Amino acid sequence: MSLQQFLDRLEQVQSDATVAFEAASTVDALEEARVAFLGAKSGQFKDAQKLMGTVEKTEKPTAGKRLNEVKNAITSAFETANERLSGGGDEAPDPTFDPTLPGIAPALGHIHPITQTIQHLAEIMGRMGFEVAEGPEVEDPWHNFVALNIPDDHPARDPLDNFYLATAGAGEDVGEGDRLLRSQTSTVQIRVMQERKPPIRIISLGRVYRPDSPDATHFPMFHQMEGLLVDRHVTMANLKTVLRVFANNYLGDEVEIRFRTSFFPFTEPSVEVDFLWNDQWIEFGGAGMVDPNVFRAVGYDPSKVSGFAFGLGVERLCMRRHGITDIRDLYSGDLRFLRQF
Amino acid sequence: MLVSWKWLSRYVDITLAANALTDKMSLSGLNFEGSETVEDDLVIDLEVTSNRGDCLGHIGVAREIAVLTDQSLKAPNVEFQASGPDASESLSVQNEYPEACPQYTARVIRGVKVGTSPEWLQQSLRRVGIGVVNNVVDVTNYVMMECAQPLHAFDLAKVASGSIIVRPAKKDEAITAIDHREYLLPADACVIADADAAIAVAGVMGGASTEVSEATTDLVIEAADFVPLSVRRTARALKLHSPSSFRFERRVDPAGIDWASRRACQLITEIAGGHVAPGVLVTGGPAPDRAPIILRRSQMERLLGITIDANAIAKILRGLGCTEDGTEHWIPPTWRHDLTREVDLIEEVARVHGYDQIPENAPIPVTPSSTRPFDGLTQRVRHLLTASGFTEAMTPSVVTAKLDETVSPWTDREALQTRTPMLEGAKRLRRTLLPSLLQSRAFNWSSASITADLFEIAHVYLPPDDDADGLPSESYHLGIIGGDDFRATKGVVESLCQRIGIHETLGVTRFDCDGFAPGTAVQLQLPDGSTCGIMGLLSTSLCKQFKTPGPIVVAELSLDALQSVANLVPQQRPVSPYPSIKRDLNLVMPETVSWKQLAEIVTHAADSKLAELRYQETYRNAKQDGDGQKRVLFTVELQSKTETLSGADADHVIHDIVSRAGNQLDAKLLS
Repeated sequence: MSLQQFLDRLEQVQSDATVAFEAASTVDALEEARVAFLGAKSGQFKDAQKLMGTVEKTEKPTAGKRLNEVKNAITSAFETANERLSGGGDEAPDPTFDPTLPGIAPALGHIHPITQTIQHLAEIMGRMGFEVAEGPEVEDPWHNFVALNIPDDHPARDPLDNFYLATAGAGEDVGEGDRLLRSQTSTVQIRVMQERKPPIRIISLGRVYRPDSPDATHFPMFHQMEGLLVDRHVTMANLKTVLRVFANNYLGDEVEIRFRTSFFPFTEPSVEVDFLWNDQWIEFGGAGMVDPNVFRAVGYDPSKVSGFAFGLGVERLCMRRHGITDIRDLYSGDLRFLRQF
Repeated sequence: MLVSWKWLSRYVDITLAANALTDKMSLSGLNFEGSETVEDDLVIDLEVTSNRGDCLGHIGVAREIAVLTDQSLKAPNVEFQASGPDASESLSVQNEYPEACPQYTARVIRGVKVGTSPEWLQQSLRRVGIGVVNNVVDVTNYVMMECAQPLHAFDLAKVASGSIIVRPAKKDEAITAIDHREYLLPADACVIADADAAIAVAGVMGGASTEVSEATTDLVIEAADFVPLSVRRTARALKLHSPSSFRFERRVDPAGIDWASRRACQLITEIAGGHVAPGVLVTGGPAPDRAPIILRRSQMERLLGITIDANAIAKILRGLGCTEDGTEHWIPPTWRHDLTREVDLIEEVARVHGYDQIPENAPIPVTPSSTRPFDGLTQRVRHLLTASGFTEAMTPSVVTAKLDETVSPWTDREALQTRTPMLEGAKRLRRTLLPSLLQSRAFNWSSASITADLFEIAHVYLPPDDDADGLPSESYHLGIIGGDDFRATKGVVESLCQRIGIHETLGVTRFDCDGFAPGTAVQLQLPDGSTCGIMGLLSTSLCKQFKTPGPIVVAELSLDALQSVANLVPQQRPVSPYPSIKRDLNLVMPETVSWKQLAEIVTHAADSKLAELRYQETYRNAKQDGDGQKRVLFTVELQSKTETLSGADADHVIHDIVSRAGNQLDAKLLS
């Protein structure tokens, strides 16, 4: 037999074996194919191997090398097929595999509950067309008081009730200062109204500061969300409707809402807003119709536009939602607290 | 303010049960804070807002009840017989400080017998939390709790020269008050003085020298109006807050002063005997007439969204004490300083009519709203950081000097300070978030042995450049603390940049900054060269100071700076369909060569064929390579966008890299 004929025969066996192994769809069929090609007595490869003797002696090294390659290829094709088929469960289960062992948790961080609350509030208000606005936390008295209709002699301006900044350089600070940490986010409303013309529909969110001795429900730094809507015809009925829709959304229930008369310099009429939730009236925040003096301060004509504003403490909503009982935990940076959210 | 049910019943017939009444009062402006049954009386605690000084007396509260329950108010009749010499024969009054005291009145009562008050008077005062003193002082307090006008009684015999002068305090003037403590009066305080010295701090507290005692027979009854700001400043300065100062700070009824004075005279003579001297010494006043206010129903509808019957409006306003002055014109009562404008009257009508009458089905028009790009940015930042194992903290914006002085990578200017400390002596507006995060990390370590990887997004307050008293520059920063591996934290920062669409590598420049381990502080630069952040390893001494194990890597990025180049809408970039070829390279080079230098060489040599350059590791073998040498292993992945690269193409690029690295960096290929 010529070398070429021998090599062709090997090629044929390899190709047939590969096809047969790949085609086998059961372990039995594969075993059948294995016997047919790799059988020790009358397998096709064995048969081909026997033909080696007929090859010219000088050409035997070439033939032998190829024979080896083909044997390896056929064996490997069989193993591949065998692996493919034996994965099916005929093997005994691994006794060391315990699916009840706990999973390996990825190292995940947590988003602060106040951030989660703020995002929730902004999302609900966003669906009612309110966009987020922000402003500086260090303010001048004009934005924090004057424009908000808080006159010079108003107790809200008292140095003991505000964080006025020390003036640069030496000199004693007496009375009120010309910069302070804002005591309310209403300052943002002023800044937005100064820049834009109505209609305006915004919520302002952020940190505010008031000197309060820290305890379970007080902290000198907290967050407020304030809403403002100014347009040509805005009524207190609109205010009540918006707040009711908000409450239904936030509390996830049909809730009753009520207004209680209150007093804020920047709104008239002014009300406290309560929600009836689980048979309990919950204080939500303050609200009212924007005071004409506020409109005048920002150059709006109060006879042409009207508007409502409302404000609420983010911490209180957050604490109620998550069952947090001490406001100080929120600002402790304590991971044992933070990783619960 | 505490009110007694029985006391209120002297001025109005209460037709509702207690619960129904307090609910109604809560909704209309006098918030119910609680109640207590004392003996056979119900004492109710009401929250009175600062605009309603008129409700700091029982008559004011009774008026509210009357208007809410459709009853009429029964104010007491004041009657007494004056006799004896005219008051002006015993007393003179001079007002040198009308800015602080627009109206001052004094009456004289002679021949009283000071003693204990009758039981009904003592009981009335006790129930509303006022201490019982003697029949004269008790009456002045009773009248204050009745009509909200504070009064003061002086012992006429002790008023030097029978002369009362209202004047500013003199420099370094002091007074011993009736609490028998000495107070140094602030410069602009308003005092009541006699010919010799101050005998009372106006509107705040009387003086011991003229106090009414058992020996007193002749009285001066002071009823006055002191301006709120003056009283408030003085009370604050002296830390002396009294029921009197509380009421003056909320303004008294300027037309009710004389009534209160006469009422006190009536009750004193009834209880303690004596005779009221004819005449009253008055300076200033009377208060100017109140201007009429127009109230249009159209405006009421415009603001409230409901219509209210004209008769109902009129009934409410009359009940509150307003008087009609022609159609739609109303004159507010003198005790209601808060009613000056149409909108104020609208609120009065609305609150008495009831806010429950305002409907909840008036939706606002639909309008689009969009999320600010900044909120989109911070949302991605938070997602990436939490996915990387960092937890969001929130820490106070104002820090102690100790914290402030640890690191300040953004500015050398001194931190702005609040005048009053916020927490634990903290006065400084923070210039960086890192000290607060370090403190939190240390707290977690000391309290629970937790290694806390934290981040915070908050404002930092950089003091203004030129104008020392201007507003600071405030911007949102992201502070990160965590890990002992600089590269791991840098990887988080780099991933964060990619997640917000910044694909260029951030520039890195070393800078000197206190609080960082030497040589590890770097500024991070945007492609335009501007600094967007800093990072580094905190110094060992700082870690020790906070008793927390190091090393600690920190980073702080300006989110405003990142936003200026962020692209939150990713754009697809084509993927090459051709296979890539990876080659590992191991170069030995001097220690001084930075990865950045090596990367530039590779980038230049491979040019458009560079699919990825991946750093693997550095190791050192001084025996084989000599001192000051390092081996850098890295992988170069090459790929063409237009064809399949051959092995020869790749060999060519690699050869180019090696030869450039050899020429420019003195690097040699290790086989």
